[in-house]
Amino acid sequence: MKANSKQIPSWCPGCDNFMVLSALKGVLGDLKLAPKDVVICYDIGCAGNMVNLLDACAVETLHGRSIPVASGVKSARPELTVIAQAGDGGLLNEGLNHFIHAISRDDDITLIVNNNLVFGLTAGQRSSATPQGAVSRSDQGGFAQVPLSVVDLCVASGGRFIARVLASDINQTKTIIKKALDFKGFAVVEIIEPCKIWAKNFPKTNYKKVKEPFQSRKNLIGKQNITGLLFKEQAKS
Amino acid sequence: MNNSKPFSIKISGPAGAGIAKLGEILSSAFNREGFFTLVYSEYPSRIRGGDNNIQIVISRNGDISPKEKVDLLFAFDDVLLEKHKNEVISGGKALSATRLKLNELGPVKENPIVLNSAVAGFLWSLFLKDLKSLNLQIKESVKEAFLKANLEAVHSGFELNQQKDDFDSTRATKKIVSLNGNELFAKAAEQADCQYASIYPMTPITGFLNSLSKTKIKTVMPEDEIFAALSTLGASYAGKRAITATSGGGFCLMSEAVGFAGMAEIPLVILLGQRTGPSSGIPTFTSQADLLFAINSSHGDFSKIVLAPGDLEEVYFLTQEAFNLADIYQVPVIILTDKYLSESRFSTTEESLKKIKVRINRGKRFKKQKSPYKRYQTTPSGVSARAFPGETAFITNSYEHDEYGFSTDEVSDRLAMVSKRERKLKNLQGGFSVFGDKDSKKLILGWGSTKTQILEYIRENPRVKFIHVNRPWPFPQGVISHLEKAKKIIIVENNFSGQMAQILKGQTTVKVESILKDDGRPFFQEELDREINKKI
Repeated sequence: MKANSKQIPSWCPGCDNFMVLSALKGVLGDLKLAPKDVVICYDIGCAGNMVNLLDACAVETLHGRSIPVASGVKSARPELTVIAQAGDGGLLNEGLNHFIHAISRDDDITLIVNNNLVFGLTAGQRSSATPQGAVSRSDQGGFAQVPLSVVDLCVASGGRFIARVLASDINQTKTIIKKALDFKGFAVVEIIEPCKIWAKNFPKTNYKKVKEPFQSRKNLIGKQNITGLLFKEQAKS
Repeated sequence: MNNSKPFSIKISGPAGAGIAKLGEILSSAFNREGFFTLVYSEYPSRIRGGDNNIQIVISRNGDISPKEKVDLLFAFDDVLLEKHKNEVISGGKALSATRLKLNELGPVKENPIVLNSAVAGFLWSLFLKDLKSLNLQIKESVKEAFLKANLEAVHSGFELNQQKDDFDSTRATKKIVSLNGNELFAKAAEQADCQYASIYPMTPITGFLNSLSKTKIKTVMPEDEIFAALSTLGASYAGKRAITATSGGGFCLMSEAVGFAGMAEIPLVILLGQRTGPSSGIPTFTSQADLLFAINSSHGDFSKIVLAPGDLEEVYFLTQEAFNLADIYQVPVIILTDKYLSESRFSTTEESLKKIKVRINRGKRFKKQKSPYKRYQTTPSGVSARAFPGETAFITNSYEHDEYGFSTDEVSDRLAMVSKRERKLKNLQGGFSVFGDKDSKKLILGWGSTKTQILEYIRENPRVKFIHVNRPWPFPQGVISHLEKAKKIIIVENNFSGQMAQILKGQTTVKVESILKDDGRPFFQEELDREINKKI
């Protein structure tokens, strides 16, 4: 895929996806993974447009369906490094079923969730990750529901590797994605990257880093403002 | 049993009585004696009680179509006997287990679960003078722990009849085997080197899932049909042959995967088992009403192939061929089956299945090259060389893309790609077979699982031509000259609106008549003969 020099990212100026792209390039380079041996299955949405930008066996799938495709790839070719990418809309709205079942099956893939808190590419409708009370173009009176949490769903479904990072912290993102790729089993890395255009007036969260992963995953429930490697189960016996 | 005509038995009993097993054992035992058999089942969507039926057709020459009226009815109780006795031909017999006091036989009293084996023994006595083949079959089909009780039950049922009959006349000398469609679809997938299957259970293809799980094929039962189709697509993209299966309701959920396969040019094989629809319909009954749905599945213009096997030989051949077609043309291939074909047990000679050999063809493949690899290179055939992950890095895209796979909305890229995908199947040959009188101006056209009944009509009425379409889409162009030469064209379909007739209207201006049935049952032989004779 040497011809990608002509590809210009479609993201808005200042978008956190530039940071994520940079982190991922760094990870694949540092781990010396050959692009031909890495399969990345992308969701539909802003972050999914990375399909044109990151040198790998890249598959643009369908909205909410990156996990099923990635799971099939890994089943067929266990020797490949397989990453599924999903947005908050694709993961928590359209494809939630697959998320929970992938945790339950413990598919040996890494899930990267680009959570920008909103439907970006359809221009500003709320997703199931949109904070309660946030005004969006589809909820002019403010979003009434309690948002779904990637981490809480992971905990409830028995997730074995659970992490949340900030896109703005490239080093944290890189370190944790490396650990996720090294993990044997389903590893979830939620990347918080509030949309600069459609989420700029949403209620803000002040995040703080955890020093150590939690010993028990259930203690994570409800803690929406912490980042880092939050839980990692020891190897299955 | 008349020497030339098939003999039909209807067995009726509650769910849980082991009627399906009884049909399996009896048919295989008759196969051992050189008879061809059909076991056609009608059962409601329940696990215990109710009214389950099988029809066993026993034939010397291979005519094994289901019948409207049977020669013998055997009911497990008198309520079912009353309910079904009008389905017996005049001069036929109607018997029940209660009236014959089969449940009072020693082994059955001791263990009521073996009543079905006592029934097997009794029915066997109406045809043959010794139990050898039936005992051999019981030993093969029944688990060791239950063997003794079942053999005793068979024996006691057999001895109950003092006037044993003997039809020890001409039989086939070749080895005959019985299989249902689902079992053979699974064998064919294994033969085609399929290595991954993801299937959500649904009548009538649940048996395919069960059969696959006994093979070496990695078989996954997922959360829904969306995962089933898309993980199959993922495995196929990664370089392994893969299959999914569903019925109409699940296929609704799979249609996005069909379009994805079309756009991204990933081989995708789907076994679609038709049942009575729409919606939940009559879940355990048959239909051929998903033809247009399969052909038109998913949005946008792209090439796909729809196959429709009509008998065991075609099930075995076309399923293997489906994997080749998917690989060669990098398109979705849908194999249409239905409840009748998937769940009925048909028989054929072992030799005729062994003769079927399909060479694996993985299509045009990537070769190491100096210039950058173009996954979607435009070519005269429309087909581009396909790489697998691990060979080179490349983009596979559900968005419109350029030759490398990069997303695009440019006019020139769009036009190049949409026409490339469209021309892939332009020169596809074959797709049908001609039977009967090849010069006849009277033409019957059928597709898929109506084949055996129409063939039986043709054997009795050899002055008629029969065209069986086993690849409804792309519609076989070779059929058109046959249609244009015919004076009378009758299309036989197991659906309400005449879906094949609608396809023909887009291909030719000839006038056609339809024989249609969509009541959940396949065409019964007498019924089909009557309907054809009215029109021909």
